[in-house]
Amino acid sequence: MTRSYLHTRWWLGLALSGVVAAALPASAQTPQSRDEALRQAKAEKAKALAPYVPSKGEQWVDRIENTFLDGDLRWHPYFQSALAGGGFTLGAGYRFFVSPYNTVDLRGSYTLSGYKRLEAEFLAPRLFDRRGRLSLVGGWREATQVGFFGIGTDPTSKDDRVNYSFTQPYVSAQLDVWPTRRYFVVGGGIEYSKWDQEGSSREPSVEDVYTPATLQGLDSDPTYLHVQGSAGFDWRTAPGYTRRGGAYGVTVHDYSDRDGDFGFRQVDYDAVQHFPILRDAWVLSLHARAETTYDSGDQQVPFFMLPALGGGSSLRGFSSWRFRDRHSILLQAEWRVLVNRFLDVAVFADAGKVVSRTKDLNFDRLKNDYGLGFRFHGPLATPLRIELAHSNEGLVIVFSSKAPF
Amino acid sequence: MTRLPFIRSAAALVAATTLAAAVGAQAPRFFDDDPISREPDSEDASNAQPEKVGLTYDLGYNLFVTAGNAASGTRAKNVNTIDEVPDSSWFTNRVGSRTLSADELAKGPITGSGPDNSRWTLIREKASGFAPGFTAKDASGETWFVSFDPPSNPKAATAAIAIASRIFWALGYNQVETFLTQVDPTRVEIAPEATARRPNGDRTTYTRSDFEQVLERSARNAGGTYEAAAARLLPGKVLGPFRYEGTRPDDPNDIVAHQHRRELRALRVFGAWTNLTDLKAGNTLDTLVTENGKGVIKHYLQDVGSTFGIGANGPHDWDEGFEYFYQGDTTKKRLFTLGFGLSPWQTAKYQEFDSIGRFEGDAFDPLTWKPHTPTTAYMEMRADDAFWAAQRVMAFSDDMIRAIVATGRLSEPGAEQYLVDVLIKRRDKIGRAYLPAVNPIVDPALDGAGQLTFGNAAVQYRFAEAPESYTAKWSTFDNHTGASTAIAETTSREARIQAPSGLPTAAGAFVRVEISAASAAHPSWAQPVVVHFKRAGAGWKLVGLERLPEALSAPAATK
Repeated sequence: MTRSYLHTRWWLGLALSGVVAAALPASAQTPQSRDEALRQAKAEKAKALAPYVPSKGEQWVDRIENTFLDGDLRWHPYFQSALAGGGFTLGAGYRFFVSPYNTVDLRGSYTLSGYKRLEAEFLAPRLFDRRGRLSLVGGWREATQVGFFGIGTDPTSKDDRVNYSFTQPYVSAQLDVWPTRRYFVVGGGIEYSKWDQEGSSREPSVEDVYTPATLQGLDSDPTYLHVQGSAGFDWRTAPGYTRRGGAYGVTVHDYSDRDGDFGFRQVDYDAVQHFPILRDAWVLSLHARAETTYDSGDQQVPFFMLPALGGGSSLRGFSSWRFRDRHSILLQAEWRVLVNRFLDVAVFADAGKVVSRTKDLNFDRLKNDYGLGFRFHGPLATPLRIELAHSNEGLVIVFSSKAPF
Repeated sequence: MTRLPFIRSAAALVAATTLAAAVGAQAPRFFDDDPISREPDSEDASNAQPEKVGLTYDLGYNLFVTAGNAASGTRAKNVNTIDEVPDSSWFTNRVGSRTLSADELAKGPITGSGPDNSRWTLIREKASGFAPGFTAKDASGETWFVSFDPPSNPKAATAAIAIASRIFWALGYNQVETFLTQVDPTRVEIAPEATARRPNGDRTTYTRSDFEQVLERSARNAGGTYEAAAARLLPGKVLGPFRYEGTRPDDPNDIVAHQHRRELRALRVFGAWTNLTDLKAGNTLDTLVTENGKGVIKHYLQDVGSTFGIGANGPHDWDEGFEYFYQGDTTKKRLFTLGFGLSPWQTAKYQEFDSIGRFEGDAFDPLTWKPHTPTTAYMEMRADDAFWAAQRVMAFSDDMIRAIVATGRLSEPGAEQYLVDVLIKRRDKIGRAYLPAVNPIVDPALDGAGQLTFGNAAVQYRFAEAPESYTAKWSTFDNHTGASTAIAETTSREARIQAPSGLPTAAGAFVRVEISAASAAHPSWAQPVVVHFKRAGAGWKLVGLERLPEALSAPAATK
């Protein structure tokens, strides 16, 4: 509705009573009944009919809504950095449909630490009569100052930090299948990638402290064929945000080094369970994860591929990649408070450790932290998570664009 | 533009055209045809065009703007001179205005026969709403909007639609004809021209897989069939939803801003009774039909299925009916107490039936009941609107409620009785909350002998003790100047007061009576109900009733 039209309507409204009143004494327009008065008022309105014109705000919101519905929303924010610990991440993606359901997404991100990621993904979400989902990804990433604090849990200190960098081109395919369309999922994937690991411009660099003899994989550039398979049950309402349900799964990895030096196998066990309390007023959310690696023949697991803890999705009160070793165990508990439909607050505690022997994967001498988090969410996703976590190594602020688990 | 000028414009228009008010300074207060019983649709609305109300904008605007707006305190503008809502293209007086038989209630809006479900031809995907369903032609070729129950709640959503559409029909709203039926997937064929909208925005051929996807989201009977609610295609041209504020600028007959229509304000009470939490504009519908050679827009409450304890995809969320989707006060409380500042919905006790969902009457408080989002009409409800609405709710007898609930065919043991019991409990809470809140004088009558009789709605339903006394202030009234001249004041302990001597006797003379009640328990009853009688033959005709003044500084209807 234009402003001039509005003013016309406004004055018409004001004038209408005067028109009727002034005409009353003698004019033929003087209503003789309530019915006639109403008819006159309606006839008066009939002289100035116009279509409804939405306000600017309404037009703007409707345009966005229609953009979603029409599949025309192409540009989107992208906050996935090249590697955890890169700091605040900015990025964007351009997604477009190549068929009614399938998309191609071209995206990239950059962090304050100079981490870079560029990749393209083809996603087919409705294969096999809505039972399968295929993702094909090709990309390149660079992490410029990844922390390494030594091997193990107790022998290391945050003051032992050295830094390394790597670049990695990669192509991958991942197929997930829900045979019954929900709950039970099996997946398989393959990735071909080349790691180019080097020292870092951030002091101290890893080669200042370690040598290839003291740190397995230092200065190595393995080319991996990574094959993985997984199986699990997932009855959460949505992986990105849920207040009930659980997810239990096992993933088996085989990393085959083309040069035969750094191949290994890894098994990940993951369990998530959410317990709503008092009608979702609170949710007790529990997460347990164990990662174990196995040698492939006489090959070694390079230090940068070891299971690790620390950072915004594991031990949140510690630096990213703070602990590394052959195996890891992580336990997380959260007391999530429903504040409203868009915001949850959580009090959380994390505990975990890395070990060199599987028999040490127990609950002794766990590193732990605790904290408070704010999650801005929708019914299906958590686009912003801000957390304050405290450990014996200090205070860490976490910004993330996804749920912790 | 903002919405404010639009509202101002509409309000100014309304000021000139309120159904009860004098149309000008020199016009009489009461015309010979007052009180009117029908608002005429005298102009041709054929040129009205379809319009959309964006779901996101409507949600956001109502949550973050409307909810923060103070009510204007303006009296409803579409009431006649005796404070009643005349019939219109929006509303038809039914319950409380005339006797409704059990058969009438069971039929509700239904005028024809139900679908022939021996064969369905799916012609379109479901156009709106979140319930699983589709649009199909039955074996006789008639078009129906078919919706199903969520798997978690068999026979719930369909029953809710059937029951609620009859309740809202009886309350006076235009309703879609809806039948309970069954769909046998083996007897469904997909029309070759049927299409579905895809995520990329394209419309492509509707496939069997699309159909199966609908069924996966629906409750399946043991025999492989599906319970369904089939809504008949409305006659006329669909114009889209109506808004709960302003008027349609392309409808010449729409001269009262919607937020000042009493029947739309009253949805706050009717919604509370039935727990109709989804009051968004998207659940309404305007259609353009031809009546007496003119285009007339009829206004429907199209989707009243999100009632009682059930929604399109399962039971209501726990907080539905208790809180808006977003509220600042509860947000702060839960944030700063880490959730230990409990809200009533967290401790309300439910007897859960799959076919009813979360619906109860003990924790229910009609004064604090809330839909998902408020509407401007909801915010504008005054105590006299609520009184009017509560009278209509109370007009549903227990037997009438049983008759309507039976149409839902709730087969789960105990469910039907439970729903009846809760509706009765919530009905009585509404009556108890709203009838004594204002001076509850009703049905005033003055006979030729000067005997003034009236009822007291709050006392009648035993929600209040009779007042210590009633007082009537009598005046003569000049219908052209609006001047009144006091005659006398008379008092009685009963709802019957003899007029003083000196009432005018000339044909067409008017008398004004201010009736108040002295009640220590209800000080608000001291606010007189102002009534006007016109001399007609040997008796008097009620031509005016004003329960509360035109403008209130603040609405008195809610906590």
